[in-house]
Amino acid sequence: MEKKRISKIVAVIFLLLMVFIWIVPVLYTMISSFKSEADIQTNAFTILPINWVIGNYQDVLFGNTSAPVAKWFMNSLIISVSQTVLVLVIVSLAGYGYSRMKFKGRDAIFVFLMATMMFPAVVNLIPLYKIIDTLGWVNNYLAAIVPGAAGVFNIFLIRQFMQGIPKEFDESARVDGASDFQIFFKLILPLIRPVLTVVALFTFTASWNDFLWPSIVFNDVEKMPITPGLQLLQGMYALDVAHALTGALVAIVPTFILYLFTQKYFMESLSLSSGVKG
Amino acid sequence: MINAGVNKELKMSSGIEKHSGKNRINFSPYLYIGPHLILFAIFFLFPTLYGIYISFTNWDLIGDPEFVGFANYKEILFNQDSTFYDQLRTGLGNTFKFVLFTVPACIIVPLLLAAGLNTKPKGMKFFQALFYMPTLFSVSAVMIIFSMLYSVSFGPLNHYLNVETNWLATQPYAWITLVTVTVWWTIGANMIIYQAALNGISKDLYEAASMDGANSIQRFFRITLPSIRAQILYTVVITTIAQFNVYGQPLMLTKGGPTSSTTVLLMYIQENAFGSGISIAGIGAALAVILGLCIMVVSAIQFFFLRQRD
Repeated sequence: MEKKRISKIVAVIFLLLMVFIWIVPVLYTMISSFKSEADIQTNAFTILPINWVIGNYQDVLFGNTSAPVAKWFMNSLIISVSQTVLVLVIVSLAGYGYSRMKFKGRDAIFVFLMATMMFPAVVNLIPLYKIIDTLGWVNNYLAAIVPGAAGVFNIFLIRQFMQGIPKEFDESARVDGASDFQIFFKLILPLIRPVLTVVALFTFTASWNDFLWPSIVFNDVEKMPITPGLQLLQGMYALDVAHALTGALVAIVPTFILYLFTQKYFMESLSLSSGVKG
Repeated sequence: MINAGVNKELKMSSGIEKHSGKNRINFSPYLYIGPHLILFAIFFLFPTLYGIYISFTNWDLIGDPEFVGFANYKEILFNQDSTFYDQLRTGLGNTFKFVLFTVPACIIVPLLLAAGLNTKPKGMKFFQALFYMPTLFSVSAVMIIFSMLYSVSFGPLNHYLNVETNWLATQPYAWITLVTVTVWWTIGANMIIYQAALNGISKDLYEAASMDGANSIQRFFRITLPSIRAQILYTVVITTIAQFNVYGQPLMLTKGGPTSSTTVLLMYIQENAFGSGISIAGIGAALAVILGLCIMVVSAIQFFFLRQRD
C-alpha cells in the first residue's frame, strides 16, 4: 500500500511538471495577444499585460493587406467545410458499396485500395500540382477541397463500422420493399452516425491544418487559406511579438472550439483506428 | 443535391435490373463506389505512377517531359560536383537525423504520460485534454508561437532561464528546439492509444508478479511492455512515417539553418519543383521517389523486427 502511494505521488509530480510545459506556450500566446506592442517593448516580461488591449486583433484581422487574416480565415472555413461535406458523401457511399453490395471484384478492389495506403504520398506531390494546373484550379478553392476526398483510410473506417451492423436489418427492410438507396439512406446512415462524426471532425481539422499542399497551389494572397498564410504573416511580423501571436491564435481558435465540444470523439476514434490495426 | 442525383440514377438502374435477367451486369454498386474510385484514380493513383515516371525525365512542369533514363538518379546519387548531389546528402541526412531524434521521444514521452495518467490522479481528464490539444493546431501556428518563445532577445525562455542562448540559429540548440517542439505538438495521439492499451492490462498479472517478488521495473519490462506490443508497433510505424515527412518545423523555425544543418529533403523537393526560377521537376520527383523508398523500407524493417521478437 505504502509503495502504491509513493508511485502515485511520483506520477502526480511528473504530470504537473508536464502540465506546466504544455500550458505555458498556450497561455503565453493568449496573454501576449492582449498586450500592446509598446508594452512589450518597454516591459517585455510582465506576466500579465499592464493595459489589456484588443487592438492587435483588429490590426491582424483587417489592418494589413499583405496578410489579410480575416480573408484567410473565411477561405479556410469555406475550404474545410466543403471538404468535410464532400468526404462524408463520397466515403459513406463507398463504404456502403464495399460493405453491403455484391459485385464482381469487390474484395479485390478493396484490398488494392488498402494496399495503396502504403504508398508514400510525397511521390504524387509534383504531378498532382500539374493536374490541378491543367484543370485551371491553381488559386481556386477546389484545389484544396477535392484531392483530399481521394483518400482511402476513411472508407476503411466506415466499412469496418458497417460490418458491425447485422445484415438481417437490410434483409427485413428489403422484404418490406426498400431499395438499395433507401436502405443506405434511411437505415444505415443513421446507424453509422458515430463514425461519420469522427470522419467529419478529422477531415475538418486535417483540412484546416494542411500546410504544404495549399502553400503550393495558392500563390494569390487573397485566395490563400490561413495555415499557409501564417508563413507570410510570420515574415511580416518577425519582430512584432504581439501581432504575430495574435495571428497564430486566430488560426487555432476554430479547431480549439471544435475540440472543446467534441473531445470524446477524438479520444474514442483513436482507440477505434489503432484497435483495428494493432 | 448530390444525393438526389444518385437517387434518381439509382431508381433508373434498379428499373433496368428488374427487366433484365440475372446474367446482366448490375451497375448500381458502381454508383456507390464509383465517385470515390474516379477521384482516387485522378488525384492519387495516376499522380503517384506519373511521379515515378517523371523522375526518369527532365520535366520542367510546363513542357512535355523528355525521357532521360537514369540520368536524374545518376546526378543526385553519384555526381559529386552537382548541387543536387549535395541536396540529397544534406536533405536526406537531416531528415534521417530528425526521424532518429524525434521518434524515440515521441514514443517514450507519451508512454510516460499514459503511465502517469493510468494511476488515475485527480484532474486526469483535464491533463489528458491538455496534452492532446496541440495535435489540433496547425504547424504554422505552433511554429510562430515557439519562434517567439525561443527568440534570443524577446523570448521569455531566455529571460526566465537567464541565458542568452541562440536556440534557433546555433547547434546543437536548433536540433534540441526542433525535437522539443515536435514532441509538444504531436504526442497526443500516441498517448491516447497507450492509455487505452494500459487500461486493458489485467490487474491480476501485476499482482501475481508482485507476489513472485518482481519490482516495478521488472514488472514494466516483463508485463507492461509485452502486453502493449501491438500498440507500440503501430505507433512506431505511424510516427516514423509522419516524421519522415517533416517540413513545416524547420521551414518556419530554423529556416533550415544554421547553414543547412536542419534543411530537410522535403524542403529541397519543394524548392526544386515549385521554387522561384525554372522548375526542375524531374530532379524533384527523383528526390521524392528516394524519400518514398526510404519510408517504405524503414517501415518494412520496423514491422519485421517488432513482429519477430516473440
